[in-house]
Amino acid sequence: MIRTHIFTAIRFMAWLAPLALALSACNLEKEINIELPEYETRPSLECYLEPGKPFSLLLTKTAPYFEDFPTLDDDFLQNILEDSATVVIRHKGQEYPLQNQFFFNPFSGKLYNYFSSVPVPEDFDHDFELNIVTKTGKTITATTRLLRTVPIDSVVVQFPADDTLARVLTYFTDDRSQTNFYRRMIHQSTLDSIPLQDFALDDRFSETARFVFGTNYEFAEGDTIINTLFHISRDYYDYFDSVQTAFFSNGNPFGQPSPINSNLGGTANAIGIFTGLSYDRVTTIVRR
Amino acid sequence: MHFITRLILLPLLLASGALMAQQRYTISGEIRDAGNGETLIGATVTVKDLGIGATTNEYGFYSLTLPAADSVLLEFSYVGYQTELRSVSLQKPLMLNMELSSGIQMEEVVVKANSFREKARSVEMSVEEIKAADVKLLPVLLGESDILKALQLKPGIPSGSEGTTGLFVRGGGADQNLILLDEAVVYNASHLFGFFSTFNTDAVKDLKLYKGGFPAQYGGRLSSVIDVKLKEGNSKKWAATGGIGLIASRLTVEGPIQKDKASFMVSGRRTYFDLITRGINASNKDNAEYSPIPDYFFYDLNTKINYQLGERDHLYVSGYFGRDVFGFDGDFFDFNFNWGNATGTVRWNHVFNPRLFANTTFTFSDYQYNISNKLTGFTFDLGSSIRDAALKTDFFYAVNPRHTLRFGGGLTSHYFKVGRLKAGNQDGSISFSSGQDFDGLEGAVYVADELDLSEKTKLNSGLRFSGFTNGDRFYANVEPRVALRHTLTDRLTAKASYARMFQYLHLVANAGISLPTDIWYPSTDRVPPQRSDQVAVGLSYLLGNQYLLTLEGYHKYLHNQIEFVDGARLFANNNLEDEFAIGQGRSTGLEFSIEKETGKLKGWIGYTLAFARRSDFETLSPDRPFAQQTPFRPIYDRRHDVSIVAFYELSRKISLSATWVYGSGDLRWMPSGRFTFQDVEGGSFQAVVPDYLDRNTYRLPAYHRLDLGMVLKFFPRKGESDLTFNIINAYDRRNTFFIYLEPEFNTVTDAFGNSFEVPKRIAAKQVSLFPILPSITYNFKF
Repeated sequence: MIRTHIFTAIRFMAWLAPLALALSACNLEKEINIELPEYETRPSLECYLEPGKPFSLLLTKTAPYFEDFPTLDDDFLQNILEDSATVVIRHKGQEYPLQNQFFFNPFSGKLYNYFSSVPVPEDFDHDFELNIVTKTGKTITATTRLLRTVPIDSVVVQFPADDTLARVLTYFTDDRSQTNFYRRMIHQSTLDSIPLQDFALDDRFSETARFVFGTNYEFAEGDTIINTLFHISRDYYDYFDSVQTAFFSNGNPFGQPSPINSNLGGTANAIGIFTGLSYDRVTTIVRR
Repeated sequence: MHFITRLILLPLLLASGALMAQQRYTISGEIRDAGNGETLIGATVTVKDLGIGATTNEYGFYSLTLPAADSVLLEFSYVGYQTELRSVSLQKPLMLNMELSSGIQMEEVVVKANSFREKARSVEMSVEEIKAADVKLLPVLLGESDILKALQLKPGIPSGSEGTTGLFVRGGGADQNLILLDEAVVYNASHLFGFFSTFNTDAVKDLKLYKGGFPAQYGGRLSSVIDVKLKEGNSKKWAATGGIGLIASRLTVEGPIQKDKASFMVSGRRTYFDLITRGINASNKDNAEYSPIPDYFFYDLNTKINYQLGERDHLYVSGYFGRDVFGFDGDFFDFNFNWGNATGTVRWNHVFNPRLFANTTFTFSDYQYNISNKLTGFTFDLGSSIRDAALKTDFFYAVNPRHTLRFGGGLTSHYFKVGRLKAGNQDGSISFSSGQDFDGLEGAVYVADELDLSEKTKLNSGLRFSGFTNGDRFYANVEPRVALRHTLTDRLTAKASYARMFQYLHLVANAGISLPTDIWYPSTDRVPPQRSDQVAVGLSYLLGNQYLLTLEGYHKYLHNQIEFVDGARLFANNNLEDEFAIGQGRSTGLEFSIEKETGKLKGWIGYTLAFARRSDFETLSPDRPFAQQTPFRPIYDRRHDVSIVAFYELSRKISLSATWVYGSGDLRWMPSGRFTFQDVEGGSFQAVVPDYLDRNTYRLPAYHRLDLGMVLKFFPRKGESDLTFNIINAYDRRNTFFIYLEPEFNTVTDAFGNSFEVPKRIAAKQVSLFPILPSITYNFKF
């Protein structure tokens, strides 16, 4: 009897399945118009102090989310940059004023609108203080300190016995006497390519001083692999993590939205980061 | 003495006087279905001459104490069953079990009209009941009938995301529902990210949901109690029911182990996506470009055995086991992700005497998820679980026909594993771990009293004392419960209730859909128990003999609500409490329904007007102190909800059904602004990073949908079968499942001929889950 029941069902389903599939192929996506509450533009800041490199700072403006982007006409930069501010960085009683001028770093490909040719002193024991007064008289303040570089111990290339693609393992040693935060990047060929991995982490869950980062089996013999390990501050970790979370929630409807965690104070209600930058970078050619 | 406490103690004082009344005897027993031997919950036995009666409790037991008489005419009735009359001589206590026959069409109108009258006169308010048989008639997604989704059609119970089984009852959160399966807690009642519930409709006998006016025997969650009872198994004859659908098949077998004394029920269900995907993978085995589709399936198994130990004792043993299994086995890795519930119940009913009935239950409950991944030389394991063992006893004492006492208590031992992560290499030189283990002990004692203050007024009152400890901190609380019914006219009844509830367990979840990785977390020193105080008032009006109109208003205060701080890190975090913000909430609403249960056309119309708020989360936005005190609305603060459900019996062979639902859109936390992120050397320039400010300020477009169903019955020589046709989203409405935001770019060429992209605008794209979607299911029963 069960067989009869089953055959009856299958007959009907065989008839209806193509119809169901055809209908399921309908376009389920459309653009909609979204009205949001009014938004007040505020400054956005990025300043990374790298010992021995010039002081440079990027100060831009946020914009209402759905506002059209400025076109590449004469007003383009005026629309996105926060210019005419007074920017001073203090360290051990010394003041380093940054001029409102463009500085393009040809090695990093990064652009800044406040600059001083004076190199950042290599001092891991004293604070750097940032003070900005915008053209409307509002302030932005922040404090940071440089961290020492944590070196990459080794980069190991592993080929499986029966395959031509290798994986890369990157080892370093964590200082277990303190809580550390890191940012790990790995690039293939050049630094201006999109990183294969780029994330921040802390060392709280490690039970051992030895750390490892791995990749998939994806590198062929002769490939150039660039490993970078940043030793970052808690402030930078929070900022970078919130930027990444906010960025990914933009494309992921089930992601958790995240406001930006900044280390900036002052009356301008600015978002951004003022931090030191120390890293170790190792370039490896993949060999069997 | 506090007014509420005095109100609660009053019936207990009155009870002592009632015990000294004239010579009376008690008739007690069980009322069962004559066809399959299942106990009937809420069946009534009345003595028309005296105008008094009793109702069977959730275990099918009734007790009615009457003055001694040579002849008493008893009327036994139940919705959809033939009324039985018995004349008995009452000169001593009497045990009288009764069986009622179903399917008597001529009696249906009368019986159902009476059932409306009973419902209107009941003290219980804010209660929704659904019979599994009705659920099977509703049009459902992919033909899989689902009792939790059917509940979402009732007023005051908005769903979560499109197509999912999440319940947000009267402005409460998804974790504020106590879901019981044969009295064992089910911690995650969903399969496939909430698209299907864990309850196989074939195995379910009865479901009751309390939105307010909670009886004192229930506690532990703030917003609702969903009490699901499994079938006991046919004690009269062997029977099988089953179905074959587009995505799953199910089979239930039940029958007597010893006729009228012991029976069993076994029910299983399994999806078969994986059989199809494995076939597709096998056919592409030699295709180097092909990416295999991961395996996914879910299954569940329900069993129940009951045994009549003697005239006064009955033993029930039931269990549930279900798993979702996701696996992906690649050349260099082996990824497995499985999650599911297991519950077990051993229940002993004992009749001490005709007026005193006891139910003692031991339950076991386990929910866990495990993710494991093995890469060459490295392993990664992540899991969380909650495991309970509970023992409770409930006593029912029928003081007299107008007065019933219920009291009892229980103890639950909880064991939590929270975010247990273990990763490292094979030789142990690299090792990561995180996670916390907690123990918890939750206990409660309660007393509840049902008393007819007069012919027109009935009072249900109760006190529940609950407590929780996890070793470091002990919480003890008093939970008063009061419900009052006053009959204004023969057709119009007024009701009011107040209930305080405490919740000691909290769900750590941050997405709009049910994820298996959601973690249960206990109350600790820094995480106080959640508390709610709900007041509800209502009117019930019987319109003619066919319609019941119900209007209820409620206001709920929510204390110690948990939200996650901005940018919370919930994954592998040993200090999860740092990510919690504690605040307050409140919700207000008005619910209206009109029901019709008789005639060829049956169904209901429900409408809810609701408001929900959250506020005073002092640590919600550490970086934005100006935002901390801002009240915000939870995502499910849905202003209007309408549901229309209709069943039409066209003929003996064909019945039709239709549901139409309308809901104001849910709220979403959308970015207010945007900025560019240049990053350091090697980092990616991001032209658009959202700047999120206030939570949940954007309301999605309104949701509405029409579903149609048709059941075509066949009557072969033996058994019966049907084909169920469903059309979901009949007018092809594109409802919002989610919205995503996509920057659009212009390509620009510079003076050197290099092309690059510059952002032009950001488009908001709405994605719908399904268009018009037909399905067919074949069901059989013999």
